[in-house]
Amino acid sequence: MKLAVEKRHEQLKHKGFITAAISLALALLAGSVIFLVFGANPLTAYRFMVSGALGSGYGLSEVVVKSIPLMMTGLAVTLAATMLLWNIGAEGQFVCGALGGTWAALYLTPGWPEPVVLPATIACGMAAGALWAMIPAVLKALWRVSEILTTLLLNYVAIIIMDHLYFGPWRDPEGFGFPGTATLPDAALMPRFFGTRIHLGLVLVIGFVVLLHVVLKRSKWGYTVRVIGQGPEAARYAGLNVKRQILIVMAMSGALAGLAGMAEVSAIHYRLQEGVSVGYGYDGIIVACLAGLRPARVPAFALILGALIVGAEQLQTAMQLPASIAQVLEGALLLGFLASEALSAYRIRVVRPATRPIGST
Amino acid sequence: MANASENQPLLSCRGISKRFGAVEANRSIDLDVHAGEIQAILGENGAGKSTLMSIIAGRYRPDGGEIFINGRAVQFSSPAGALQQGIGMVYQRFMLVKTLTVAENIRLAAGARGKSPSLSAIRSEILELADRYGLSIDPDQPVHELSMGERQRVEILKLLVQSARVLIFDEPTAVLAQPDVEGFFAILQRLKADGCGIVFITHKLEEVLAVADRIAILRRGRIIAQVSPDRIGSKHELARLMVGRELVLRVDKPDVVIGDTVLDVSDLTATDGNGRPAFEDISFSVRRGEIFSIIGVAGNGQTALSEALNGLSAARRGTIRFMGRPYTHETWAEARHPEIAFVPEDRHHAGSIAGMDLADNFILTRLDQAGRGFFLDTGCIATDIQAAVARFNIVAPSARTLAGHLSGGNLQKLILARELSRNPDLFIAEQPTQGLDINATEEIWQALLAQRARSAVLLFTGDLKEAIALSDRIAVMFRGRILDVIDASDSDAVGRIGLLMAGTME
Repeated sequence: MKLAVEKRHEQLKHKGFITAAISLALALLAGSVIFLVFGANPLTAYRFMVSGALGSGYGLSEVVVKSIPLMMTGLAVTLAATMLLWNIGAEGQFVCGALGGTWAALYLTPGWPEPVVLPATIACGMAAGALWAMIPAVLKALWRVSEILTTLLLNYVAIIIMDHLYFGPWRDPEGFGFPGTATLPDAALMPRFFGTRIHLGLVLVIGFVVLLHVVLKRSKWGYTVRVIGQGPEAARYAGLNVKRQILIVMAMSGALAGLAGMAEVSAIHYRLQEGVSVGYGYDGIIVACLAGLRPARVPAFALILGALIVGAEQLQTAMQLPASIAQVLEGALLLGFLASEALSAYRIRVVRPATRPIGST
Repeated sequence: MANASENQPLLSCRGISKRFGAVEANRSIDLDVHAGEIQAILGENGAGKSTLMSIIAGRYRPDGGEIFINGRAVQFSSPAGALQQGIGMVYQRFMLVKTLTVAENIRLAAGARGKSPSLSAIRSEILELADRYGLSIDPDQPVHELSMGERQRVEILKLLVQSARVLIFDEPTAVLAQPDVEGFFAILQRLKADGCGIVFITHKLEEVLAVADRIAILRRGRIIAQVSPDRIGSKHELARLMVGRELVLRVDKPDVVIGDTVLDVSDLTATDGNGRPAFEDISFSVRRGEIFSIIGVAGNGQTALSEALNGLSAARRGTIRFMGRPYTHETWAEARHPEIAFVPEDRHHAGSIAGMDLADNFILTRLDQAGRGFFLDTGCIATDIQAAVARFNIVAPSARTLAGHLSGGNLQKLILARELSRNPDLFIAEQPTQGLDINATEEIWQALLAQRARSAVLLFTGDLKEAIALSDRIAVMFRGRILDVIDASDSDAVGRIGLLMAGTME
């Protein structure tokens, strides 16, 4: 008797939740190993993480705060991936959104009537993200350049441009040489709620989740996008305009990631400075994968990842462990997802040896 | 070589079966490959050739049956496992790293099996093998600089370096230019003389007669005949064996008044991706009220022609007149033609989207009828699909069933229903009944015959009995050209079709 690994003919039931659960389990397992290496008790560490993230009102509100940009970038990646476009560039679009928002708040809207300042700032942030995403979109639509590479590489370009701006031309002259822009005027700041740092971005992103869920499912345009993603051959046969959809979808994806960057500046940091870009764009890929590329599931997984980040921050103060543990856990989460995704296509079967024909020795 | 057949076969298959869902791709196949012999496997698209070879080469595991090498039962879990036992396959699409040199590619393949010989050892082995089998090649040339014929030689060398004794070739001449084809045949003869067993998959009849020692004909997953070329009188007989000569099903053809000329194609010419002619000087016309068939053995340019007519790719030259409006080859490809409905050959990937439900699939080509505004009108779609399910007798649990879960016949009926509901002036169907059972085939035939009362019907088929049963006129395509257009009511002329399909004009 031996075990054979073979391909499944049909998909697992509830595959999405099973793979998400397995990835979480694998991430926790990998985390335990890391904790042991650092000489910490994994159970204690996880207890600190849970109590830090979920054990207090403040922790919970911070989980939501972290999850807002994750929802936005997760949604951005999800939308593009619905059409089989891998937007690895949400980070760069996030940065450009932050730039667009900062520019609008500091240089465009001063002197404008107050009620239009915030909407204009939001619009500029989203537009900047969309424009940045148009570079890979055009390359892809016209010359079939892999968007995976171009979006990824443009992240570094965006970050360098941002560094240049807040170290150089946009640096606050009254900032005592500290790298960063001046604070944004009050009119350009997103309101916060309930005395926490939870801000208007949450309302906006929930709106976009609902909108995309409905539009992708129920509209003709959403149908077109789904066909291109699920049946590229069928899309060609049906004569769908794939190039135009690449441009539209990438622009929307970039706008969502841009909104995340703009919101971080306008609601959390109040200025463009170091620490605005901490990898929310890359985290969005993990959120999108775990959510099985379904917009409606993005908020839940953004909250889970948010809790992981907040929890890991607690480790730093409580157990003197490096904060980069959070990134290790995120990486393990994504690897776990990829592994369980691949493994779920197979099953393990017990094979009995074939009976020997009569007469053979 | 006369006594080769008395020896134990090099490779022997007994009762090989393989199913994919509802499709029986291979049914209890017995096949022997002897040392020093070329075994041709002949069959139409979808006959099960590729599945069988993938099983022998270790890519698929059979559901039933056994494979013996030199009389010893073997099981492979991968192509590498098969190669370890001496069985290697040259795929239709070459598997080479274009930026690496010949020697590097060959070392890569050998290295994948655990051996990692040095580059110089590989180079001298290549030169020795190349000399022995007449595979002239420069080991240090990068693969992207090589012609298709030379790349094929690299693939062969890859197998020889790993001591393969049974070499399987999947449609080896499909990508080759004519001089390369002759060179390839010379190589086959040398391999054969050296005692290799060769399996040669093709649907080109003249090649089979030219090189094969034995011919196995595969139809609908079964080997229906094993013959030697000297016993086969002519290409004609071979063609008949391949496409089948079952009794033509009785189909009532209602009389229909022939109307206006809907499509008039003249001198249409196109090239394939490699710049070789795909089809040349194609001229024909289709009138409302008739079914015009284009018949041919697969790979004679029909696919390219149908792509060009459906505006999916541009032809190089020629003109088209459609509904009285003139087009050049360029303007035709740019224009949209809502008056044309098309049932594509690949019903699983082009014609439908496996991961979407029936309702979603039903609006693929008729989005304009799926609601007026921005949103899909689900009520209207539901009504339409209910009507289609009832009218075409589509068996499916509900409109929410995924298209990928439908049987081939029901899926095809869904696609047909969708395309017919567009009220086209020209209805194009490509291999509409390929791989379907008798019942589904008949239902689709009835639908096509009924449709000709309303529009012109253009049918691409490789199935002789389908062409005869349905058509008013039949054009025979061979090597990218229409050899003749035959009136289906002329029974003497119809008898010549098999011969024309084999390229013989007489």
